[in-house]
Amino acid sequence: MFTFIIRRVLYSIPVILVASFVLFWAVRSTFDPLAKLRQAHDPSVIQREIERLGLDRSIVEQYFLWLKAFVTGDWGTSSRTGSPVFQLIGEALWPTAQLAFWGLLVAVVIAGAVSVYSAVRRYSLGDNLLTGASYLGIAMPAFWFGLILIQTFAVWPKEQFGLAEPPLYFVGLHSPGESGFNLDYLRHLVLPVAALMIALVATWSRFGRAAMLDALSSDYVRTARAKGVPRRQIIWRHAVRNSLAPFVTVVALDAAVLIGGLVVTEQIFAIPGMGRLFLDSLVAGDVFVLLPWMIVVAIAVVICNLLADIGYALLDPRVRLR
Amino acid sequence: MQRSQVSPPTRRRLVHAAAAIIATLAVVSVSACSTTSAPPSDTPNTTVTEGGELVIGAEQEPDCADWIATCGGSIWGTYVMQIPTMPAVFETRLVDDVWSPVASDLMSEEPEAVMQGEKQVITYRLNPEAVWSDGTPITSADLSYTALQIRDGDDIFDKTGYTGIESIETPDPQTAIVTLSGPYAGWRSLFSVYGVLPAHLLEGQDRAAIMKDGYDFSGGPWKIDSWNRGTSVTLVPNENYWGEKPHLEKVTFMFLPDTAAAFQALKSGQVDALYPSAQLDAVKQIEAGLPGISSAVDARSGNLEALWFNNSVAPFDSKAVRTAVAYSLDRDAIVKRLFGDLGVESAQQSFNTPIVGAFGSDDFSVYTTDLDRVDEIMTADGWKKNADGVWAKGGETASFTLNTLAGNKRRDLTVQIIQSQLQGAGFEMDIKAVTPADLFGTIAPQGDFQAGLWAIVDTFPDPTLSSSFGSANIPSEANGFSGINFYRVDVPELDPLLAEIDSELDVDARVAASQEADAIIAEEVPSIPIDTVPNVLLWSEKVGGPLSINPVEGPFWNLAAWGLAG
Repeated sequence: MFTFIIRRVLYSIPVILVASFVLFWAVRSTFDPLAKLRQAHDPSVIQREIERLGLDRSIVEQYFLWLKAFVTGDWGTSSRTGSPVFQLIGEALWPTAQLAFWGLLVAVVIAGAVSVYSAVRRYSLGDNLLTGASYLGIAMPAFWFGLILIQTFAVWPKEQFGLAEPPLYFVGLHSPGESGFNLDYLRHLVLPVAALMIALVATWSRFGRAAMLDALSSDYVRTARAKGVPRRQIIWRHAVRNSLAPFVTVVALDAAVLIGGLVVTEQIFAIPGMGRLFLDSLVAGDVFVLLPWMIVVAIAVVICNLLADIGYALLDPRVRLR
Repeated sequence: MQRSQVSPPTRRRLVHAAAAIIATLAVVSVSACSTTSAPPSDTPNTTVTEGGELVIGAEQEPDCADWIATCGGSIWGTYVMQIPTMPAVFETRLVDDVWSPVASDLMSEEPEAVMQGEKQVITYRLNPEAVWSDGTPITSADLSYTALQIRDGDDIFDKTGYTGIESIETPDPQTAIVTLSGPYAGWRSLFSVYGVLPAHLLEGQDRAAIMKDGYDFSGGPWKIDSWNRGTSVTLVPNENYWGEKPHLEKVTFMFLPDTAAAFQALKSGQVDALYPSAQLDAVKQIEAGLPGISSAVDARSGNLEALWFNNSVAPFDSKAVRTAVAYSLDRDAIVKRLFGDLGVESAQQSFNTPIVGAFGSDDFSVYTTDLDRVDEIMTADGWKKNADGVWAKGGETASFTLNTLAGNKRRDLTVQIIQSQLQGAGFEMDIKAVTPADLFGTIAPQGDFQAGLWAIVDTFPDPTLSSSFGSANIPSEANGFSGINFYRVDVPELDPLLAEIDSELDVDARVAASQEADAIIAEEVPSIPIDTVPNVLLWSEKVGGPLSINPVEGPFWNLAAWGLAG
């Protein structure tokens, strides 16, 4: 297994390098790193920056200059805030990681349960209802669902029952003056986690159901049934385990997307995560943040792929033999 | 001087002129209120209790708190941190129902500006009671430090006025004498827009590093207690403030970038007040009614949106085309569609915003929809409509692309209405969405556009026509693309008038020059003013005090007087 992981990690390095060069080239071609300075109309400042960034050199030279600084932890300074980019991304990663962690955890549990139920009770009323709900979940835009949640679970109960404060909060991850893992945190967490997980549950439960049905109709399950293995054992020991491998792959890939893809959820719930950072930087044309941001997300994708591979290998020993 | 206000940010306009604004402003003010009637200023003077906390929603987070640096240009930074903490020489206050610059209590007397030969000498006398939050007196050394930081510093947001400082003398701690190389009518903006920095804390230090993430000094009624990036800024009273102390123990500004969620936060009591920009969804929410929420709407803002033309490229290098476009638009209909639900229905008729309305006139009011006049003007200039109904001349059609800032729904709607109105008049318009950095960093300075829709925001009650329409401010390679006459306006009879507005110290003469310039601008139609974006303040029953919107310093200009409703 160790060799397998090392091999996968080594495979990842050229992937990240190629991805980083493509991103670097794309960002340099699309954004003008001097755009903000041009508004100051000071030619000497612009010239200094051209020399500092090596903008008068070839794109390959610029890339290696940037890469050298990046790997040594010098991610530059945001043109928008004047803060170190490393610090900005680090601060933004933490709230996003919290949201992604809780969202994934809850979504995996619910999607897993729905998958098994729907596959085992195929075409039952419950299965049909869950199938309909899944399509609804896939179709609902995140911003709309987020606002519906806010209205239903925060604003409406407060107004309807004359409460002093809403039962669930939706501004940030803590109230002013609060911090840490406590009731205030949980009251802030419920709605954004619900908003982000709805599409995940909807998609994964469809995928999980199909994988489970595939497993349940396989030869080894038929053999187990013929041998008189109890139904519960067939489902949980054989079908679920075998359907988990493709399920884990999908979960891992979607998890990577969450690191950079929670723009809408973070915007609605005022959470200062990676999505908000990306949006703010994009609007401001802050190329110094955008590029490292993309590289971090690309690395997250590679890491999640790696985890998917490892999970796959753990669940299916045949993978390690290849 | 101008700062960015809405997201995407608007372009600031350089100030080259100033004078006291005592005359009556031509204003359009409207009040709207869901639960109580709210005049545009000094709304409910509710009794307040001492102590308590308020949470206020802020739709934008400032990029940094180093106010004189380029990153410090966010108007929200000015509202939530700069105004409450930085002492300023002049404040904008309501005088005879006109927002005007008045000397603050930082001064012991009104600063005096006199001409000595070709030079202008300004004498500032500081209030001996004025102290920083650490108890150190605010002295002339602070004015000197501030002036030199701005005049000589790198990465300064706007040096207008400060570059003319020849010398600054400090004969005693309470007196500073500033000598300018020439007449500068906008001298009141000095030490007012940026405020005054504490020399004893910053001299010899890295000012940007100390200030950019928030600072612990204050010369105002509030101190910054904390700034959690992305989340909130918390202010607490400055116990050493020499003026009226705040009633509240703490005020937290929560950053709520999503308008719909911000309104829900207000309704659910998670925030106690909001100052939303008048975007379509905000207007809809207000129009739909907000139970338990009071509101004030004031159209006297310094935020002017206009249809800008590049006067040096076709088809807008033709005065006939510009004039015909002006007669093609129904600007009142546009304003009514955008802000009618707030009671604002009239188009802006001058490039002087309402906060400098005394300097403007309503010469653009002649331009109402008149398609017969359009036909007459275009035909007389040799244009004929082609088979598609679009004006054409010499193989060229009256087609153009309009640049607008991406992500602003109100402007999206505005350009769509303009497109539709112009199509009916025989003009073909494409729409191109761009980022603010591209627009103001490259496209506009290099003149790489035909038309655009964006806003200019005045942040001091002083006319700024020359920066937009003076030929000396046309960006070019020769001047390093400085200046914000992006529109390449070069009208010979206009320049002397604009220069007079910038240098004339006599208020009446200055107003006369400005109104004459306004008339020439309306005649030449170098661009077309559309609307001024109204200011909106919303608050819950929990909030008390003399709440009102200061169009220059924002809605929290008198936060010290706010409190919990008693």
